[in-house]
Amino acid sequence: MNKPQPPRWASRFLDWFCDEALLEEIQGDLEEAFYHRYQSLGPQQARQQYITDVFTFFKPYAFEKYSRVKQFVPMLDHRIKIALRNILHHKRFTFINAVGLIVGVSAIVLISLYLNYEYTFDKMVPKYERTYRLVNHYRDQVYTCMKFPGYYNSEGDDQMNLLRHLKNYPAVEKACHFVPTQTAIGGGGRFFANLDEQQFELENILFTNTGTDLHDLFPQRFLLGDPGDALADYSSLILSESLSERWFGEDWAKRRILGKEVRIMDEPFIIKAVVEDAPANSHFDFELILLQKDIPSWAAYTYIQLDEKNDIEQFMQQLNADVDLFYPGYTEDVLSKGIQAVSLADIHFTDDMLYEIKEVANKNYLSTFAIVALIILLIIWTNYTNLSVAMYADRQREIGMRKVLGARSQDVAGQLLLEAVALALLCLPFILTLTSFALPAFNELMGSKIPTGQLFSISSLLLLTLLLMLTGLISGLYPALVYSWRKTLHLFGQGAEKRLVSRYFNFRNGLITLQFFLVVGLLSMTYFIYQQMQFIQQRDLGFTKEDVLYFEIDGAEKYEQLKTQLGAIPEVQAVGAGGVPGSDMYNQLTYKMKDTEVTLSDGTQQYIGLDAVRTLALDCPACEKLEAGKERIFVINRTAAEKLAKIKGVAPEELIGDILVTEPEWENEEYGYGVHETIDGIIDDYKYFSLKYPNQSLLISIYRQSPWVYEMMVRANTQDWSETIKDVKSAYSSVETERPFVPNFLEDRLNQLYESEARSGKLLAILGIIAIVLAMMGLAGVVAFLAYRRQKEIGIRKVLGASVGSILLRFQQEFGLLLLLAVVLAIPISLLLASRWLTGFAYHIQPQIWVVLGAGLAVLILVVIVISVQAHRAASRPPMEVLRVNG
Amino acid sequence: MHSLGTLEETILLLVLAMNEDAYGFSVSEAYREHMGKTISISAVHTVLSRLEKKGLISSQLGGATSERGGRRKRIFTVTGVGEQALAEIKASRQKLWSRIPRLS
Repeated sequence: MNKPQPPRWASRFLDWFCDEALLEEIQGDLEEAFYHRYQSLGPQQARQQYITDVFTFFKPYAFEKYSRVKQFVPMLDHRIKIALRNILHHKRFTFINAVGLIVGVSAIVLISLYLNYEYTFDKMVPKYERTYRLVNHYRDQVYTCMKFPGYYNSEGDDQMNLLRHLKNYPAVEKACHFVPTQTAIGGGGRFFANLDEQQFELENILFTNTGTDLHDLFPQRFLLGDPGDALADYSSLILSESLSERWFGEDWAKRRILGKEVRIMDEPFIIKAVVEDAPANSHFDFELILLQKDIPSWAAYTYIQLDEKNDIEQFMQQLNADVDLFYPGYTEDVLSKGIQAVSLADIHFTDDMLYEIKEVANKNYLSTFAIVALIILLIIWTNYTNLSVAMYADRQREIGMRKVLGARSQDVAGQLLLEAVALALLCLPFILTLTSFALPAFNELMGSKIPTGQLFSISSLLLLTLLLMLTGLISGLYPALVYSWRKTLHLFGQGAEKRLVSRYFNFRNGLITLQFFLVVGLLSMTYFIYQQMQFIQQRDLGFTKEDVLYFEIDGAEKYEQLKTQLGAIPEVQAVGAGGVPGSDMYNQLTYKMKDTEVTLSDGTQQYIGLDAVRTLALDCPACEKLEAGKERIFVINRTAAEKLAKIKGVAPEELIGDILVTEPEWENEEYGYGVHETIDGIIDDYKYFSLKYPNQSLLISIYRQSPWVYEMMVRANTQDWSETIKDVKSAYSSVETERPFVPNFLEDRLNQLYESEARSGKLLAILGIIAIVLAMMGLAGVVAFLAYRRQKEIGIRKVLGASVGSILLRFQQEFGLLLLLAVVLAIPISLLLASRWLTGFAYHIQPQIWVVLGAGLAVLILVVIVISVQAHRAASRPPMEVLRVNG
Repeated sequence: MHSLGTLEETILLLVLAMNEDAYGFSVSEAYREHMGKTISISAVHTVLSRLEKKGLISSQLGGATSERGGRRKRIFTVTGVGEQALAEIKASRQKLWSRIPRLS
């Protein structure tokens, strides 16, 4: 007869909550009682009472955790000790693991800091969520600035027309405008500032005539001087901290600098205050704020802050309905397409508008970096997991011993996890050191200004610690589970060798394939970017870009004087005015042929001198007319010619001699409508703008002698540029005394157009290398482990006559297959991502499949080397030595 | 002098009386038999562990039976301190009794 059993669930429940030390006696007593009651009272009563008994034990006396709390502290101490011992014992694996973790996590930290830097742009402004910039949609372009009613000819009062109007709305809490000089509408260039008989160069002045409003909306921290006093008057200067340091030295605060007079462009200004530098991740910055009644520009960047209750869309509707009040005639103008608002936090990411102050960020690149950081994190985790599995394999007996001595599965798992976490946390100081050393170089590479202090902020440290703990936990989880749940006997002897899953489709191989896949993909992408950058740099742009120097000059008169002087320098081959290629896109206008109806709106107007055509070596047959004595000719480029000819239905060359009308919507007395120009010739396309854009229609006026000049080029054939630049500078200084000489090479300017791409490419390449090194380190660890585990197999093979080479080959085959799988997966994905990236360029390469194959091959070579080095040791050991060892 | 509650005293006496066969279940049975009322095993366990903590009884594991599903019992024995405590209680009670003339 079967012995009667108490209800299973109740006994399980007891098992669960009851302290292990008490369990046996309690269970025994209850079962004995059950048995007796079963005999005397019958099964039902016995069962019921058993259940009651179990529940009466459900009290602190029997609880597990009660007794556990007492043991917890000494146990943890013991575990940490064992963990440290093991970490130190396995120096080799620990080293690989730690180095991989340190390098990888440092890279991740840098990327996170960078992403944080980019995504917090302008978010230090109070109430940034309610702050907007007003932008103007005109023709097909959106201008980031709001024009003044009379453009350049607006007095201060007129310039403030829009602001006055905005402030009338109850919804608008604050409104201000300003113009930094380092912008397309600020005129660029540098200024001389004269102070105490000394001359300094100024690079970026922030002009405003609404100082109080500016401070309201974008609060400045005043280090010296009083805001009320400083912002009230015109003709006053507010210096940034770094500028005061440059002008007055480190101890500027101790000097009496307030009230000093500074002369800029021959006008006197008074220093009224010193403020902190603008944060690096602000969309505008300045060396000094110059308060002046008239802003020397035709437009200004205009900002508003709404109060909480109002919705921006409603407000913009209202504003556009009232637009004629502050821009008379706006609604009648068919080209004006409305005023829009861009939220302050979005400014840094809005890339399709004209005249942005600073270079904007490309969200695609940022997410690419985030993905790569994630890839590195995955590689770290897989490495760490693989290496932990390898490390613990050695310790099966130790784990078995623990279990025999009474450790439960969860104790073993806890121990293993603790070790993984401990090792990860030990890396923290190294990661911080490495990152703080790498940060300046990283800033230089990415053109960012992340302060080192950011790294040591509470939140970063906390996040980093969490990341490391998570890394330890995730990587330790698999080995911990596998080893802790294995049957104790299997941890000894033959059972230890038993595989959990199939030989090929196991967890480790899955991770290795994933790593190979990521590495091959990353390598291919890096190479595609490199190829595209090469392609752009080597592409024939249609003009001579080598050995050309360009700089700004104030006016045609000074230009002609300087040109004569430069003619005396033997190295100088050509000098030209205007038309320096590689500029940002600027405002476009409408144009049409006089005798057709269709109006095009993508014309870019250019005014250049004949000498500039010669300097750039443009092919211009029509220029003969200038040499023959004509003062000015009008030519269009081939792109414009083809568009117009198609509309008219003739060959492009037949347009020569016809009349083209620019801005046909403009009514005037001279022509009736628009400006009429006779086309004198067609000039071959040359890449005036970035290769990201297709060829633009250029409408070019070429002058024999340029009537206005603001920039010029010098082409020279010289062995020693520094000498030549010195000569050019001395010539410049004799002509121009008000503005400093700032020369740059045309090639640098062209390269700068692709700076963010080049930067991203470099960063990706560096990250790619890190990823590869990490993956190879992980692979080395795994192979070393496998070789160790298979030393008997290897020994037997050798005894039976296998050569070292054939044994190595067996290892290679296994990983070769995984790599092949990875490459097959990487091909479509890399090609897809590459072609998506390349659509950002009007002129681009075709991503080729052989690049991915090549990347796979490169990885294969590395894999073969790593495996050979690691497995060779095992394969070349004398077989008897291995076979003799018991185990 | 240890302060003992009535239940503690009773159970201590029972353990002494049961001589080498006192464990959770048997004590609760003996209690029922002698006192005429039931007590839950968990209550017995709690009291026993309290007494053990006070050093009045000691315990060791032993004596697995099939009724218990092969689990060992925790056998309790009264220590010298325990016996002394019982003796003291008995003596003090007797002193009291002796003062009651009616019954003597």
